[in-house]
Amino acid sequence: MSITSEQNEAAASAFLEQAEERFGGSGVAVSIEHHSNAVKFAFVRMTCPPQHWVALAKWMRFDAGINYCSMVTGTHYPEGGDRTWGLVYHFLRQPIRDVEPFTSDVLKAERLEGMDIPLEVEVLIDLPDGREPSVPSIQSIWIGADWNEKETWDLVGIKFEGHKNMHRVLNPHDSPEGFHPLQKQHKIRYHDYNEMYDDAQGFVRKPADEGRVK
Amino acid sequence: MWITMGPQHPMTHGLWTLRVKVDGETVVDTEAELGYIHRGVEKIAEARDFTQVTPYCDRLCYVSAMTWANSYIYAAEDLLEVDVPERAEYIRLISAEIQRLASHLMWLGAFGPDIGNLTLMTWCMRDREMFLDLLQELGGSRMHYNYPRIGGVKRDLPVGFADRTRAKVKLFEQRIKEYEMMLDQSTIWLVRLQGVGYTRAEDMVNSGVSGPNVRAAGVNYDVRWAHPYSVYDQVDWEPAVEKPTSVKGADCYDRYRVRMEEMVQSCKMVLDALDKIPGGANTHYSTGDEMILTKAPTRAPEGATGFSNYECTRGASKFYIEGGGDGRGKNPYRLSIRSPMFITIPYVAKTMIGYKVADIPAIMGSFDPCIGETDR
Repeated sequence: MSITSEQNEAAASAFLEQAEERFGGSGVAVSIEHHSNAVKFAFVRMTCPPQHWVALAKWMRFDAGINYCSMVTGTHYPEGGDRTWGLVYHFLRQPIRDVEPFTSDVLKAERLEGMDIPLEVEVLIDLPDGREPSVPSIQSIWIGADWNEKETWDLVGIKFEGHKNMHRVLNPHDSPEGFHPLQKQHKIRYHDYNEMYDDAQGFVRKPADEGRVK
Repeated sequence: MWITMGPQHPMTHGLWTLRVKVDGETVVDTEAELGYIHRGVEKIAEARDFTQVTPYCDRLCYVSAMTWANSYIYAAEDLLEVDVPERAEYIRLISAEIQRLASHLMWLGAFGPDIGNLTLMTWCMRDREMFLDLLQELGGSRMHYNYPRIGGVKRDLPVGFADRTRAKVKLFEQRIKEYEMMLDQSTIWLVRLQGVGYTRAEDMVNSGVSGPNVRAAGVNYDVRWAHPYSVYDQVDWEPAVEKPTSVKGADCYDRYRVRMEEMVQSCKMVLDALDKIPGGANTHYSTGDEMILTKAPTRAPEGATGFSNYECTRGASKFYIEGGGDGRGKNPYRLSIRSPMFITIPYVAKTMIGYKVADIPAIMGSFDPCIGETDR
């Protein structure tokens, strides 16, 4: 009826083998992880240095059958540590092909094998320090990454080199240059003011909080 | 010539702008502008703890609040490593499928007037009310339920809920046939939908489209089937799939058909889940009982991340959460939301190229846009 965990494990380990064969020794780390909620299925987690990202993306798209770019998440870590910016890409492999007219491709889970088994891939890219983080765009490899990258630049401020037609999507088009609200220096009101929930109207607001505007 | 359709336009089903370049009556280029109701949920979530984020996720899509809240909850459970009691999973499945019925009815009710069938709106609103009443019994309010909890659900099924649900679902199964009788033999409906807005499966997948819109093109890919999260592998259902009528792929009619079929499957799932629910559908456990709620930690382990891939009513919704860890308090450090419509709307805008201006409402409406989740 649906994909079993054995199929899922087999697909993940096959992907792991191929990836290690192709990218072994280049700094790309591959591992199989499991979700820890009700969905116990396995997924592949890869850590990739930015300089190998395009090669890895092309290999995933054209050789490993990863045909779906789910989401792009950028994160700002201003408090120091070994990274200042992080990018997480989520991909899916889906056994979806065009069908002939008046037919449908009703996939039977038990008959799926090899590269047809759906698989989830997570790629983590740590970006070097700097005020202007940037990473090569994968817009030309997956069209689905186009608006995800636009959003990530708009909200987080990570530049995607080679992205065509980059513009604001969720913020107003006339937002000031360099304003990316998900960077951590932008605090929302009451960011570190826990009394808010006991005192929604602000009757006992701390004096230090007066004059703070959103 | 560029025409601006929106932000207030019957075609938009929300607040966004479609800029259309026309040559006579033919669309030659389009451009989607989003962001009119961006609320910054991802930023707000960084100042709330994990349970406080759920109501915001309800409000991501006011048409299918239950599925969006569930979607967040699965990501949070992945992050916090919570095992959910099976009865709670069944209740979540039932509530999500009732929500899917209500959401698809809202889609059909809004789609009908786009095509020129106002009767459909009144019928759909009538039937949607049945399911909103059921959800209100669970969550307490009509649209934003705040019902799922990290580790389970807020309350057990109310007394008599199972019987009322069975009666309403069985009535609605008959009503679907009425809809089909009205629509599938209506000349206006067929002329406006058939042969309009072709999309191919591989194109859609490469462009990030998911859910019923892809299943309309003849492939039964469904998150509930591929990565069964809840108890979808235990109830009796088949992913709805439509046979496209052209090499050019699925048209608006296929997308309408696949959603009708999906409603049939949802009815089937609800009825089956009510029969199979552990503990029995007519038992009522008190709030907080371990049958429906387990205790969940409030702080995430250091460096942990959570991800959920959930079949929402409009496609796959995904959440990615980066946990706080000790130094960062009880809030998510980063909550990232992937909305299916945010990716789909720009794609749909491009599929309109080559069709007439009058086809735009039919094409847009058939993809079921929802701007609440698009702009977040």
